[in-house]
Amino acid sequence: MKLLLKTISVEWKMNIRNFLNIFFSLIFPVMMLLLFGSMYGNEPSEYYQGYGSVDVSTAGYLCMIIAVSGLMTLPITLSQYREKKILKRYMATPIKPFDILLSQLVVNAGVTAVGSGLLIIIGIIVFDLKFYGNLLYVIPAVILIMLAIFSIGLLIAGIAPNSKAALAITYVIYFPMLFLSGATLPLDFMPDVVVTISKALPLTYGGELLNGLWVGGTPGTYLTERFVLLGVFVVFAGLSIKTFKWE
Amino acid sequence: MNVIEVKNLTKTYKDFKAVDDVSFTVEEGIIFGMLGPNGAGKTTTIECAAGLKKPDSGQVRILDMDALRVGKKLYDFVGVQLQETSYQDKIKVKELCDFFASMYENSSDYEPLLARFNLTAKKNNYMTQLSGGEKQKVAIILALIANPKVVFLDELTTGLDPQARREMWAYIKELKAEGRTVFMTTHYMEEAEFLCDQICLIDVGKIVITDTVEGVIEHAKLETEVRFKAGKEAADYLRGNLSEVRAVEYTEGFVKVFSEKEDIITDIILLLNGKHIAYKQIDIHRPGLEDAFLKLTGKAWRD
Repeated sequence: MKLLLKTISVEWKMNIRNFLNIFFSLIFPVMMLLLFGSMYGNEPSEYYQGYGSVDVSTAGYLCMIIAVSGLMTLPITLSQYREKKILKRYMATPIKPFDILLSQLVVNAGVTAVGSGLLIIIGIIVFDLKFYGNLLYVIPAVILIMLAIFSIGLLIAGIAPNSKAALAITYVIYFPMLFLSGATLPLDFMPDVVVTISKALPLTYGGELLNGLWVGGTPGTYLTERFVLLGVFVVFAGLSIKTFKWE
Repeated sequence: MNVIEVKNLTKTYKDFKAVDDVSFTVEEGIIFGMLGPNGAGKTTTIECAAGLKKPDSGQVRILDMDALRVGKKLYDFVGVQLQETSYQDKIKVKELCDFFASMYENSSDYEPLLARFNLTAKKNNYMTQLSGGEKQKVAIILALIANPKVVFLDELTTGLDPQARREMWAYIKELKAEGRTVFMTTHYMEEAEFLCDQICLIDVGKIVITDTVEGVIEHAKLETEVRFKAGKEAADYLRGNLSEVRAVEYTEGFVKVFSEKEDIITDIILLLNGKHIAYKQIDIHRPGLEDAFLKLTGKAWRD
């Protein structure tokens, strides 16, 4: 346990010293919030059933932060560690392989939490962001989304032959998910074909669930979303544990 | 006492036999070198021996532990430097040492190690700012942090400039002086000759011979060549009076004597002096590992 905590603290330092991680997890989502917030404001609107534009977009941005940590930082870091034989070097130490993966998950969850906090604080200060939901529903939902998205990232990390391939795979998955899942642009304005595509993306279900709970919905309304996310987690976590290559 | 015992180790990648029925033992407190060209199977052998790779068949015992089954406990006694390992881009030297120290129950303090390897001034540097030689020194420090009885070094000096390589050699000798057993791989002949108490020549996955450096050369039945400037009468006289020589040649003012007898030069000098024959510019070419490799495998050494 002591060693696990030490590993987490080392990996935390590595993560926050990486400018790209900081930019995509902390700065970029805030930029999106400020950009779209300044365009549409946060006045109550009929479009959004009486909520403000920022109120109903924040859940999407939170999903975006989860996706950056889980689909980009996590697989890229781990595949680099494998390529540089860092994972192999750890095999010749008392450290448990599982703890290395766990520390990455914890660190990325931590960065997600910091990014989310920052986004919400700026949302409140700049746009008078309001929260209509129940934290007891929202926090477990965020954890569920993280588990699903992080397990996809873990699978990419485990099977990508090298860090370049991991980078390519994460870009191909992350960017379409970002724009097609409703995380950044509302699906209501999208053509039917995009809506159909979005149904195949796990992040869409995360966005639906989190957004619904944010404006006061209850988990009972989002059975499908929760079921899909849980399924993604079980399948991808299982696959990644089975296929993870240490070298 | 044998610290490392490898028996019938075999490892195949797809249809390529990287290591083919390799067996050897390493006594306590020596520097044992596995020497072979690139692709000979050295890294596969050392990684199997260090419990990092599962061989298809064979046994590995280290300090009376079954290295393939004992698990993580092995690394309390065995320090490892792996070939071509790099570290996190943004980690500092002292952070890396501190992290590795935290992994072991009885780790040695890393500050004296940094001082010993002349890295104290660099402890706040990022690993990426270190030279190749400095990175390899850190790799040894990390291998030593658990104060291991056995140290595995896989091509420690590959890619280093000659000066850095010499420095590493001194450090490896120190490990032996501290009573540790060193198992190292290298593809540098002169490194093996300089450092190793015992060497094991390996080629295409098979061990050619295991012996001391002198033993290997002796085994290859290589000839010492003595060449000097003298008249033809010197060659004729030596041909008639030297025993244990294969040939005495005379070309363009030079006499060449070929013999398996290492100290043939003494006999030559005694004979020439006794007969008052003048000679100068004596050259002795003593056979080295490179000649032995050529003789034993039929292949020229390729780096």
